[in-house]
Amino acid sequence: MSTRRRRADGGVAYLDVQGTLRERTVDALRDRTLRGNLDTAAASWGEGREGMRRDHGLDEMRERAREIRQSNIRNLPALLAEMQANVRDAGGTVVRAADGAEACRYITGLAKARGVKVVAKSKSMATEEIKLNEALDDAGIEVVETDLGEWILQLANEHPSHIIAPAVHLNREQVAALFREEAGTDDVPDDREGLVAHARVRLREKFAAAGIGVSGVNLGVASTGTICVVENEGNARLVTSQPRIHVAVMGMERVVADWDEAAHILQVLPMAAIGQDAANYVNLITGPRREGEADGPEEFHLVIIDGGRGALRGTEFEEALACIRCGACLYSCPMWRSVGGQAYGSPYSGPIGAVITPLLEGPSSPASRDLPFMSSLCGACGEACPVGIPLQDLLVRARARASSPATRKSGIAFRAWSRLWRRPATYRAWMAGWRLMLRARGRNGWVTELPGPGAGWTEVRDMPARWPPRR
Amino acid sequence: MSTAPDQAGVLDLLLASLARRKATAQVVDRAEAGRATARWMADAGVARAVVASDQVVEEIGLVDALRREGIDVLMWPTGLGSREALGLEGPLDVCGVTVPALAVAERGTLVLEASGGHGRGIDVTSRHHVALLPADRVVRTLSEALALTYADGRTPPSAVSLVSGPSRSSDIEKISTLGAHGALTEHVVVMS
Ligand code: SF4
Repeated sequence: MSTRRRRADGGVAYLDVQGTLRERTVDALRDRTLRGNLDTAAASWGEGREGMRRDHGLDEMRERAREIRQSNIRNLPALLAEMQANVRDAGGTVVRAADGAEACRYITGLAKARGVKVVAKSKSMATEEIKLNEALDDAGIEVVETDLGEWILQLANEHPSHIIAPAVHLNREQVAALFREEAGTDDVPDDREGLVAHARVRLREKFAAAGIGVSGVNLGVASTGTICVVENEGNARLVTSQPRIHVAVMGMERVVADWDEAAHILQVLPMAAIGQDAANYVNLITGPRREGEADGPEEFHLVIIDGGRGALRGTEFEEALACIRCGACLYSCPMWRSVGGQAYGSPYSGPIGAVITPLLEGPSSPASRDLPFMSSLCGACGEACPVGIPLQDLLVRARARASSPATRKSGIAFRAWSRLWRRPATYRAWMAGWRLMLRARGRNGWVTELPGPGAGWTEVRDMPARWPPRR
Repeated sequence: MSTAPDQAGVLDLLLASLARRKATAQVVDRAEAGRATARWMADAGVARAVVASDQVVEEIGLVDALRREGIDVLMWPTGLGSREALGLEGPLDVCGVTVPALAVAERGTLVLEASGGHGRGIDVTSRHHVALLPADRVVRTLSEALALTYADGRTPPSAVSLVSGPSRSSDIEKISTLGAHGALTEHVVVMS
């Protein structure tokens, strides 16, 4: 991980991402293995999801989920204050960080003050967003991702390609090769069970050595000051129970009012995310170990991150704050399914990533210019979203907001074109000229090369030489 | 904590849900529970049991039954070092024995509360997990379970684990593989 460079402005896009969005997309499209892996993943998600709709009424649960999250966002300041007070009552420490840099400073400072050398992490998009791994690495502290998929990526020196299934773009052989390299031996099995068992032992060594466990937070429950960490592997439980200190990193929007709301969201989340009616482990943590308890961390720190979220309240993008990071919109998106998450070059990919990355990064970043256009606006994402975020509308708004010189230029061209086509006389003259040009350039009934701005079209498709085309 | 009128229906639902979660279960009479649990663990090849210090464990005489099967018993808190607690040293076939506060029939979920005698990590650090569940602790929905756990006026436990089946990962090729970090097997002994 030491190969990464820190970006001065602290934006959320990955710094070691190479090339432009277009180049990354083209590379991804050429990668046949990647396509195969993504197809398998999306198909298995689709199957699970159908089951949830059929047997567990997922569609009916959406409306309530939407209402809960909308009301959470409306009452956010009060809920956060309540959460904060209750965590403190339970013996925990709460830190509000305005941005990623501030959060990283706090956590690295804590690690240094307590003499911690190894930090064990469970999967968390918020820590990806604030680039905690780089910060700890720079401070000379070893960070180990303990979620199997995240650990695989850490070994490959790559970034997650999916919110829930980070290593979904790699296959078994690729994983086995990485494990052999890490262990420095060929004595690593090839089958899935063997690979999982191998990782279990290697990572237990890290749990035994870690002084701090860092987890994310799926939900904070304000009424009791409890954090919910949802997972399937059991590593988040080890992270939150084994090391002496537990640090939980939470995006400020992830809070619900009470247990009635939490119960609903905790059921919707795994249904939408993995097509299961329950996650294997949900860890509900209210402060550190109490007197008389033999295990659990002595210290509990909750780091609540703003990172540009607070400013979205009351704007046309407010609804994006309702997101519970289930990843359903990614799997449902034909763009994401074609190129995977890494082409996006930001921690959050897919439709929700295309909406929030520009918002969290500010209007002048490359992500703001390009990412809102990573969508066909087919609307599959909005349909898949379990909390009813109208992603396609937000994407359109994000496009309107993207104000690069390139789009401004094409704005002028479109206005001129619209003026020409609005008058019958100029329209007819345009069409007559167009027909002549097509016929002059046509070979065997097809035009394969157009001049000027038309070149972009004929680069990938031909155009009939007669208009309207004849059969 | 609660006894619903249609407890039998709820129990059937729980058993079906547990099967769906790839957990195994047996329903036994309370008087037989200690012996039956010890028998199951011996058959599973368990060498050491890490047992929650709970009233229910005492009532069914589990410790004596386990010792009779030749299983080494450590009561919680065990006093083991972190490497041995994680299974890196000592016997491999360790079984954590928990006593859930509640179970959710609809989802096949066990509600484990941390307390002085019940560790946060008993079930995940071990290779096997056996849960001793009194039948009257089964509720239908997760909402009911959480409402009871976090009822007004009750101090919320420092940690509650909702456990729904053995540990698994789908991180390699999206195919579910058991035994990632937590227990490889989960067996629920329902005591009627
Ligand atoms: S936007 Fe909706 S579908 Fe996408 S990750 Fe968030 S909650 Fe899930």
